[in-house]
Amino acid sequence: MFQPVKPSQWLIIAVALLGMVAVPLVTRNPYLLHVLILSMIFGIFASAWNLVAGFGGMKTFGHHAFFGIGAYVSALLSIKLGLSPWLTIWLGALAATATGLFIGLPILRIRSMAHVAIVTLGFAEIVRIVISNLQTITRGELGLWGIRPFEGFTLPLLGKVVFSPADKVPYYYLILLLLIASTAVIMLLMRSRTGLSIIAMRDAEDAAESLGVNLTRQKLLVFGISAFLVGISGAFYAHYISILTPTAAVGIDLMILVIAMALVGGLSTFSGPLIGALILTGIVELLRDLDQYRLLVYGAIIILIVMFLPKGLTTLGPVFRRRFASRSSS
Amino acid sequence: MTFAIFLEQIINGLIIGSMYALIGSGIALVYGTMRVLNLAHGEFYMLGGYFVFFLAVTYGVPSYLAIPVAVVATFILGMLIQRLTVHYLMGKEAWMFSTIAATLGLSIFLQNAALLTFGEQFQSVPYYLDGMIEIGSVRLPLQRLLILVVAIVTIGAMTFILKKTRLGWAIRATAQDRDAAAVVGIPAQHIYLITFGIAGALGAVAAAMLAPIYAINPWSGMPILLKGFVVVILGGLGSFPGAIAGGLLLGVVEAIGVQLTSSEWRDVIGFAMMIAVIWWRPWGLFGKKPS
Amino acid sequence: MADTPILTVEGLNVLYGDYQVLWDVSMQVGQSEVVAVLGPNGSGKSTVLKAIMGLAPAKSGKVMFEGQDITRVPTHEMVGLGIAMVLERRRLFSAMTVRENVLLGAYHRSVSKEARNRLEWVESLFPILAERRDQIAGKMSGGEQQMVAIARSLMSKPRLLLMDEPYLGLSPRVVKQIGEIIKRINQDGVAVIFNEQNVQLSFGLSNHGYLLEGGRVVLSGTGDEMIHSDVIRRVYLGV
Repeated sequence: MFQPVKPSQWLIIAVALLGMVAVPLVTRNPYLLHVLILSMIFGIFASAWNLVAGFGGMKTFGHHAFFGIGAYVSALLSIKLGLSPWLTIWLGALAATATGLFIGLPILRIRSMAHVAIVTLGFAEIVRIVISNLQTITRGELGLWGIRPFEGFTLPLLGKVVFSPADKVPYYYLILLLLIASTAVIMLLMRSRTGLSIIAMRDAEDAAESLGVNLTRQKLLVFGISAFLVGISGAFYAHYISILTPTAAVGIDLMILVIAMALVGGLSTFSGPLIGALILTGIVELLRDLDQYRLLVYGAIIILIVMFLPKGLTTLGPVFRRRFASRSSS
Repeated sequence: MTFAIFLEQIINGLIIGSMYALIGSGIALVYGTMRVLNLAHGEFYMLGGYFVFFLAVTYGVPSYLAIPVAVVATFILGMLIQRLTVHYLMGKEAWMFSTIAATLGLSIFLQNAALLTFGEQFQSVPYYLDGMIEIGSVRLPLQRLLILVVAIVTIGAMTFILKKTRLGWAIRATAQDRDAAAVVGIPAQHIYLITFGIAGALGAVAAAMLAPIYAINPWSGMPILLKGFVVVILGGLGSFPGAIAGGLLLGVVEAIGVQLTSSEWRDVIGFAMMIAVIWWRPWGLFGKKPS
Repeated sequence: MADTPILTVEGLNVLYGDYQVLWDVSMQVGQSEVVAVLGPNGSGKSTVLKAIMGLAPAKSGKVMFEGQDITRVPTHEMVGLGIAMVLERRRLFSAMTVRENVLLGAYHRSVSKEARNRLEWVESLFPILAERRDQIAGKMSGGEQQMVAIARSLMSKPRLLLMDEPYLGLSPRVVKQIGEIIKRINQDGVAVIFNEQNVQLSFGLSNHGYLLEGGRVVLSGTGDEMIHSDVIRRVYLGV
């Protein structure tokens, strides 16, 4: 299914990377950086969901649980035990992975898409309600605030790096690093034997309503990795935003947003979820003054994309290229 | 807890459960007939509630008129939604996912459209019936008894339609084998349209009956959708009688569970039961294992 | 063929996605004929019947029934025109009773008023339907299910009956029984087109047949002509 990466594609990737690295050198506009940081957080989330839902063909609707678990576990460990966020984000991601494997077991046994959708939605609701109800620990909907930022350090040549709300640049580079790493993990995984067998399995499962047992170690592995990546994006989010509420960090709106991103960009592509995340986060910010229309627009976008552009924006690329090619040759 | 209070809780559980059953049976009917999981089903409940509120409270229409009108309006709304979105996706590539995704988008769209149009204040409808009835040591408000009566009548009517009418036979035939149904002359698209309408109407009946107890608000669809999902998993996804049994069971289990813990854990109890059922009997508690 | 044709198929092409299943298929069924569509597995013989009924998409070509173009008529309208079909592997409404299954055969408006009379008639044809009327159809044996399926198709008073592999998965004794029933239906004035892999079995019933190979008609003729043809031997035995 995957062609080897062509030189022209390497070029695009290199240019995109250089552009992302260069942004803070050109502008330190905190607002722009903030939008890009959010885009990258959601880019990781959407890519990781796409790993399971797109490449894996397991249409789960509960990944926001892993985001919330990553966020809350990391935040609480750093607050209650005084651990460094540099450590706790990994612990948060591991907690998300553990939960992912736990819920993955019953889900992956079942092929029926409807059952998977229902059980994942329900599971994420449990997580949200539990976090919301454990007020003595999480402060519930009042919000968990005072989450510690990452500790600064000194870099040779560049000098002191301080993570503070005043300077977004360190956060920017950190999430960029995480984004590159998670994208690389996903690409390597999908191009490995495991990835190919996952796709082969997905394509063979035309009986989407069958209740037949279908548990494989590869699927569970992919599910676990996906939960880990979503967990790490949630953990970063916690220490970046520094306040968490169950609605914002584990609410279903979050999942809807990420689904919209993956669909807009294009499911089952590497770049689709990233492009979708950038576009939709941008739209959110453009609509900031019209915040009450935000979710209305998301809803409409999902409906329209599914109905009129089911493969997403990234699939338009080859179409344009072909048109251009045919026009220039004729 | 005295026995009387315990019994009262069980009865209350059955009453609420009968409304869960109506929600679940709408989801089950649509899934059973067309294999579409409608994530916008909760919005039938939300909008049905608003229809009742506007008719009965804002315009002062007597409730025995307002409720049927609201139910018919939601029936039409259900057909509209089917025709404008789901119909277009059926049979296309990956329609099983695209219908779930589209109805999810629709759900969030309708929710926020309601928020913008109706505002965020919680609305309520006065009791349709006042007074209490006492049977032995168990006290029961007439309003709650009315819910049970309406549920029984609705479920009875649905059973009659499915078992005895031409339409019901066509729905069951299409559900079991769409091609074979087409061959004997049943137009599947037509049946899908009506099935969606019926699901909407069932949601509106539940909304009308619960409107005096639970507040009507733009967000009320999602929680009730999730209840409906628990119900259909308990009863076996796609089974109408399963959904009825599942609804009653969920109502009673919640009532007992809340007695043992507290009301904020009500939803967790239901979802946990659902996950256990998925793990243990994915085809539902009451059905037979499919071969 | 002395008969005026009730069904004419002209140059039918059918594609599933990018895969072409039928190539330029033409055939005819006379008003009082039983026609066999023969061919090995995967030759497209089932698709021919599905395409006539509108269950498989015709890319090009024409299907005429009693002089009327029905190529684009949706499946659920066919019954009203006088065409019925017995699907492959019976395809009963397996959770419904025998009686419900049979009555659904008269669902279409054009015949629903006569359902009771038709029911009496098909029950006289298949006494088992009356005996077992409250049984759940899915729990019957294959042969019994086939009878219910045939009875269901006859409820709509068809003038043309399509039968997709009517013998599939049945014991020789039941095959014989079903064969007798098909003959009787035909004598009552219903044209029949059916498909079957086994040539000998087919010509016990039909007087005329078409042989498909790789989605094309490679031979047509009467039973005698076909049984003794080299083409049959080549297609089936590979010699």
